[in-house]
Amino acid sequence: MNRILLIAKRDYLQIVQSRAYLVGLILLPVLVGGGFLAVTLTNRGSAKDQRVAIIDRTGVSTPAVIQAWEESTRKAAIANPTTGLRTMPRFTFEEVKPEPDRASQLLALSDRVRNGELFLVMDIPSSALRPTDGPQREPVRYYSNATGLDQSIFSLPAAVNDGLRRVRLAQLGVDQARVPGVLREVPLQSMNLLARDPATGKIAQGEKKNPLQAGVVPFFLVYLLIMVVLFGSAPQLGAIAEDKMQRVFEMLLTSASSFELMMGKVLAALGASLTSSTLYILAGMLALAGMAMFGLAPLHVLPWFFVYLIADVAMLSAVGVALGSSCGTPQDAQHLAFVLFIPTLIPMFMITSIMQQPNGVFATAMSFVPPFTPVIMLMRQALPNGVPWWQPWVGLVGVILWAVAVVWAAARIFRIGILSQGKAPKLSELAQWVVRD
Amino acid sequence: MAPITRDSILRVFAVEIDKITKAFQSVTAVAGLSLAVPEGAVYGFIGPNGSGKSTTMRMIANIIHPDSGTIRVFGQERSGTRSSKIGYLPEERGVYRKMRVRSLLEFHGKLRGGRSVTAEVNAWLDRLGLAHCAEQKVETLSKGMSQKVQFIATVVPEPKLLILDEPFTGLDPVSADSIRSAILEMRSRGCTVILSTHDMGVAESLCDSIFMIFRGKKMLDGTLDSIQSSYGSDTIRVEVEGGAAGLGNLPGIEKVKDLGQVQELRMAEACDPQRVLQTLITRTRIVSFSVVKPSLHDIFVRIAGPQPEEAPVE
Repeated sequence: MNRILLIAKRDYLQIVQSRAYLVGLILLPVLVGGGFLAVTLTNRGSAKDQRVAIIDRTGVSTPAVIQAWEESTRKAAIANPTTGLRTMPRFTFEEVKPEPDRASQLLALSDRVRNGELFLVMDIPSSALRPTDGPQREPVRYYSNATGLDQSIFSLPAAVNDGLRRVRLAQLGVDQARVPGVLREVPLQSMNLLARDPATGKIAQGEKKNPLQAGVVPFFLVYLLIMVVLFGSAPQLGAIAEDKMQRVFEMLLTSASSFELMMGKVLAALGASLTSSTLYILAGMLALAGMAMFGLAPLHVLPWFFVYLIADVAMLSAVGVALGSSCGTPQDAQHLAFVLFIPTLIPMFMITSIMQQPNGVFATAMSFVPPFTPVIMLMRQALPNGVPWWQPWVGLVGVILWAVAVVWAAARIFRIGILSQGKAPKLSELAQWVVRD
Repeated sequence: MAPITRDSILRVFAVEIDKITKAFQSVTAVAGLSLAVPEGAVYGFIGPNGSGKSTTMRMIANIIHPDSGTIRVFGQERSGTRSSKIGYLPEERGVYRKMRVRSLLEFHGKLRGGRSVTAEVNAWLDRLGLAHCAEQKVETLSKGMSQKVQFIATVVPEPKLLILDEPFTGLDPVSADSIRSAILEMRSRGCTVILSTHDMGVAESLCDSIFMIFRGKKMLDGTLDSIQSSYGSDTIRVEVEGGAAGLGNLPGIEKVKDLGQVQELRMAEACDPQRVLQTLITRTRIVSFSVVKPSLHDIFVRIAGPQPEEAPVE
């Protein structure tokens, strides 16, 4: 055990003092923060004054649509209350008389959009005031360069329909002064489920479901797990191959067994991953506290986060060490990186469907597949309604058994790999090494 | 083979190898090898590349295990356990190049010995003239200096058995001398040394006993004197005017080896050197003429040359 700890200490210090680790430590939050910054800048970019051309083939709808649109954008946060920076554009409108040659007119207006003169061209069909339910109903078409993610057009469908309803109500003789009251929206509030406190027997009221808590915080927690696991395990591949190329193992093998060597390296990777994840979690907590949002911190799943992190890094770094040992050069090792990434990347692609139905059959079943358990079970646990208490424990038993099997197999490969020479073995040959005496 | 005497029976062996065989897929690297290395000896392993020297050393060092047969080190069979009694310098050198010299040596010493080795490290750095670069990274050292560092990593904490696979390769004469004297110092402290070398001069001058392996089998084993004696005095060393040109078709001479200034003549069995001398006198002017035992180099070439000859022992 002392030898394992000694090897782990040396490797841990080498990892955390390396430039790659320090750069990675900074790069991860920079990448995440950079994503947010990009979104913010994109939104700011669209916050300049925008001009909208409306072709109204009903002949009467334009004023109502403009009024409804202006009201809806006024309700939206046009300016950030903290920074004062505008987040939504201010719109001006231009009514365009319909021309007989519809295509030529739309082409001319499209060119104005291309030139930046217009933001959007809206074409309201004559049937808009008498829409049918059938598939033949004609849509209100709009032409622009805006992407589907452009916040400034999110409110467009509701505003246009609101305007058209006002016209229809007016045509039915409803007093215009009463229309806003008739059309006024009632807010909807998503709530957490009620539960009985097992200790007191009292019914605990379901709290308001915070969209951040519901989606963003669990997503970031799982994202952090995936990134730390990959950053912690993947470098083992190249590092071991490089050590092998520099012939350091043969001498070490007189002092320590191949299993001790491997476990030392796994512990070192674990230590580095725990260091970086602890730093990130502390920074996240401080950030939430600074924004007076500490209540969003998923404290109840943090112990599970670290348990899954330990299991996942132990598994993947053992595989990384084994694969690295079988390679002649770090370049060979890079070709095998996909083997290491698969168990982490597959559940990452499932995140969206897991978030939609966290307690559905698919999500529940996938969270019991040991290589996927850390990511999927953690995601389900972090979502507001959580999972039945027994599921994480059953998942954990599976993960531990899987981790022991993976580490054992990795040790079998490592003991042969570190002394092997020549071209890198195929995956089928590695499988043979596992069972060879 | 050395004669069995009372002394040899009472001798304690550092390493006892009994009929070990090791194959790598279809290639048999070591075949039925037996060997006994006495405690306190410097034992030289010689043999051509790929003959099984390094494989045997790795098995003694417990890095790989024989397919059959047993190896005992200080009376204990090797079975996967690591021992602080053994220091092993592999042929393919390598240390953590990013580490500082002192940290690296303390890491290796502590890993093997399980205790702090700061004092020993300092003493060895002084002994091999590396004290001034103790805080440098290994990657900044010259090849010779880094080999000395690796030698120190092998000898701290002080092992009872030192296994050195070609320790002098790539060293300049000054560095080689310092390693040689360090090896002798280790022996004087009771350490048993097994070393492999391609330099027959090193084997002759440094080793108490010599073991030659060829194609996985033992060809020679004993002291230099006993090995040479087993071949007998079958070599004439001559220096003549005109060099090797006038030495053809001499009676009873099997082979002429031209060493430049000197020529070696291998006598056939029952060849009389006096007749050879008489014939030579009639042909050329002789500067020197002596009947000698074959050199280790010559014996090596006879066994492992293009047309190998059978060795007189095993």
